[in-house]
Amino acid sequence: MSNAFDLKDPLKRRYRRFGTLLACLVYAFMLVPSLIVIPVSFGTQHEVRFPPREFSFELYQIFFSSAAWTGPLLQSLKIACLTTILALATAVPAAYGIVRHDFPGKKAITLLLMSPLVIPAIVMALGLYLYFSYIRLTGSTLALVLGHTIYVTPFVIVMVAAGVQKLDSNLEFGATLMGAGRYRMFATVVLPQLMPSILAGGLFAFLISFDEVVISWFLVSATTTTLPVKMYSSIQWEISPVIAAVSTMLTVLSFVICMLTAALQRSGRGQ
Amino acid sequence: MTGAESSRAAAAFVSPAAIVSLAIAAVPLLFILYTSLGGAALSLEAFENLLTSTLFKRSLYTTLEISVSASLISLLLGYVVALHLARQPPRRRAVYMVLVLLPFWTSILVKSYAFTVILGREGVINLVLSWVFGTQVALPMILNRFGVMVGMTNYLTPFIVFPVLASLLAIDPALYRAADIMSARPMRIFFTITLPLSLPGIVAGVSSVMVMSLGFFVIPALLGGRQDVMLANLVDFYTRETLDWNMAAAIGVLLLAMVVLLSAPALWMRRNQLAGKA
Repeated sequence: MSNAFDLKDPLKRRYRRFGTLLACLVYAFMLVPSLIVIPVSFGTQHEVRFPPREFSFELYQIFFSSAAWTGPLLQSLKIACLTTILALATAVPAAYGIVRHDFPGKKAITLLLMSPLVIPAIVMALGLYLYFSYIRLTGSTLALVLGHTIYVTPFVIVMVAAGVQKLDSNLEFGATLMGAGRYRMFATVVLPQLMPSILAGGLFAFLISFDEVVISWFLVSATTTTLPVKMYSSIQWEISPVIAAVSTMLTVLSFVICMLTAALQRSGRGQ
Repeated sequence: MTGAESSRAAAAFVSPAAIVSLAIAAVPLLFILYTSLGGAALSLEAFENLLTSTLFKRSLYTTLEISVSASLISLLLGYVVALHLARQPPRRRAVYMVLVLLPFWTSILVKSYAFTVILGREGVINLVLSWVFGTQVALPMILNRFGVMVGMTNYLTPFIVFPVLASLLAIDPALYRAADIMSARPMRIFFTITLPLSLPGIVAGVSSVMVMSLGFFVIPALLGGRQDVMLANLVDFYTRETLDWNMAAAIGVLLLAMVVLLSAPALWMRRNQLAGKA
């Protein structure tokens, strides 16, 4: 779209400069909430203020020395890890099966697997709450892991399916021709080549589960509270300045995972 | 591989995920439907109660009002960014893309908290205004509609940028060169080439953003006031405070119906595109 000659027109140049100015304002609007928590987190516990009057690590010390915060942190880490493992174990073969095979009911099954992308989280949360109350699972860590697994599965399928589409199916055909069984071929030929997509999908699954609040809000009990649920009630009732420290760590985590997946997808493309 | 063999192979790969989805996604949805009908009673009482409830009607209206306006504002903001990104050479575009991806991946709780710091009574904006005018300024910008709109547009804008950018990048550059040779004015180029050809991205973006905003829960709860109770908050209220599960489930069914209706245009658009390519 951009080439040198069309910029000679001063009118066009003026429009372009105006467009860039507007875009920069929107970039700023989008980024400010993610960034402003960082300076606030180095303030003190007595005031939530930007910019902070004095620099300290006090809020981080409070966070890591209080069980009311570290408990939910560990719980969220545990749930996110279990969710990632379960989601990868089911979604990676599913993505492969959907891309490489035709089978009766494929459309319906794909729709079922992808439906959590469209169903509002509040509706899933309510459904899981009613269902898990019925089978007496509400409040357990297992309930949270299952709920999160359903929620992250479509994201993993999308990422891994994109990876499968880039593979050369001749290699799989060759392996089968040489006598490798279906599972052996999948494990030794497909999985190693898919590693970048699987890692990227796993990182996404981890981050989505770690940040998830609506489903967790309905499913937690006092002993299984996750970090986002603790944050949610904390913002609702007291706005403790410690949230700034938590937010900063979450933003850093999002940034790291976002960069890692971008790098993984690029390496996947290079193959 | 024969068809039957391929089906058998597919079953082995797909069934674990399908079974988990049936058990943990499909069954809960059926539970909502069942509960909304009063369980074994199979009555429409909960829906009748909803239609006569002022609380529900007000919240439905609020939800539609907020969803439509937040979607349109995010469309404007997202379109500006997508246009800018589409103009960049690929390498620089990847760099600017990070400015969209970081907010995209930022937790909604971090954003809500950040907006209480920015817009609050003693927040950054009021502090700056107080300093500029030399008196105590405390504009109410959260716990009201304004706070909800700022939070929601902030959250939704990246979801517009991605589909619109994809549409803009798919436009044949030769069209722009032709327009240039014919010395069309920038406005004319925008309204005759850019805007109509980016329509698939606009439809996809707006419908997905609408779908998301209908179910918004965290932002109205944390940044809104009593007048900004959306349907999702009402579900929470009925489920956990009044323990009226039938009402909560009935709202859930209605939300689901609205979402399915709204995603139809995007799906239809995608099918048309696929048909066009084939």
